Amino acid sequence: MSSLKSHLTLILALISILFSIFLFKTFSQILEKYKQNIIDNYSIVIVSTSTLSKADIDNLGELEEIDIKNEISKLKKKYKNIDFSNITMPHFYKLKLNSLPSPNELINIKNELLNKPFIKKVMTKSSSQTKIYNLLMLLEIISKTFMYLIAVLGFLLIVKQLEVWKLLHNERMYIMELFGAPFWFRGAALFKIAFIDSLISLIITFGLIYITINSAIFEKVINDLGINFEINYLNDFGILFLISFLISFLSSIIVVIGKK
Amino acid sequence: MGKIVIAENLSLKYENSEIITPSSFTINSGDFVFLTGVSGSGKTTIIKSLYGEIKPNSGKLMIGEFNLNNISKSKLALLRKHLGIVFQDFKLIPEWNILKNVMLPLLIAGVNKTDAENLAMEYLSRVKLSHKADKFPEELSGGEQQRAAIARATIHNPVMILADEPISGLDEYSASLVMDLFIKANRLGITIVIASHSIPSNFSINFRQLHIEKGKVYELS
Repeated sequence: MSSLKSHLTLILALISILFSIFLFKTFSQILEKYKQNIIDNYSIVIVSTSTLSKADIDNLGELEEIDIKNEISKLKKKYKNIDFSNITMPHFYKLKLNSLPSPNELINIKNELLNKPFIKKVMTKSSSQTKIYNLLMLLEIISKTFMYLIAVLGFLLIVKQLEVWKLLHNERMYIMELFGAPFWFRGAALFKIAFIDSLISLIITFGLIYITINSAIFEKVINDLGINFEINYLNDFGILFLISFLISFLSSIIVVIGKK
Repeated sequence: MGKIVIAENLSLKYENSEIITPSSFTINSGDFVFLTGVSGSGKTTIIKSLYGEIKPNSGKLMIGEFNLNNISKSKLALLRKHLGIVFQDFKLIPEWNILKNVMLPLLIAGVNKTDAENLAMEYLSRVKLSHKADKFPEELSGGEQQRAAIARATIHNPVMILADEPISGLDEYSASLVMDLFIKANRLGITIVIASHSIPSNFSINFRQLHIEKGKVYELS
């Protein structure tokens, strides 16, 4: 019973660490894609007296001239008494930024652009952008804090497990050492436990991940966010596989080295 | 006969107090030695120093070609592979059965499992325990556990057996069986060093006695 309990402690710790790593990675990926989505649909409008090139705007992003012919013809129809041929129209541009700026960065970009003599006006839709940005940052902080907490709890469980292992295996390792057993021989039983426990943890974690990403809620969230989320099984599971074995083998090595 | 242990002006400390004051003694290959003295005189300290558990405080201690004053971990492991150690509290691995416990030195030496099992069974029958091969230490009496410990200490044909109070706490019958096993091992050429507060009264073979008194080691004839 106590042996089963000691297995469960390590398995539980590994599962919580592995699953928190997966969630952390997934959240970061989703947030990054969502940010990209916002960037793709977000642009700053610049009004300039002359034509602009990328160099004029310090390579802040992609520049696209807005076609105002339609708007002018609408205005001509509306205001027939005005002679538009005598009016020099400015150039209108849409600036698509390379990355999602923070509210402060957005103010800086606006000021920087307005400092150029040929730029007359910059429209940033800053209030809605600020809200989205703050919401994303809040989500990121909450999710990261949550993952860190789970990982710390998992780590504490492993520390506790190390103490249990020391008590359980110390005597046997000491006796083996008295008969000249090498390091690998003394730790063989622990390495075996570490291997089995990591394997069990991996299988359970993979199961949890499969259930999570195939759940209706997860699919709905991804659809609502309008992003394309795909899991790279080979890469992601490979990382988890390495982390799991690394943690459990390091723990067992610590116990064998730290034997009193 | 070659000297297997050379101690010159050996001083040993245990928990910061000097238990053995500078003393010199030697043990020859094939000797049967009793290390005697009252409780707390330093018998266990000397035994522990002989298998490298306690390092010399000063002086020199050699076991064969191994200098125990500054021995590396790998060399200490090598030395221990050539020793057989018997403890007062047996030190059998509780979660292993008796057969596997006896196999331990062979498994460490890299002997394959089947050969190790066969030889362990042979040694268990020598100590009259073959019928208890699959039992766990806690299922055996003190005398039986000590016999299993001696089988473990001799199975790899060590050059020297170090025994710390091996018959203390055993009944007369078990004690006599255990001493008989040491005698048989000695007849095969194995050096025996036994720490004991006294020498069994009916002890029949030639032996040497190193006596510890007030921290000094003397040879008694």
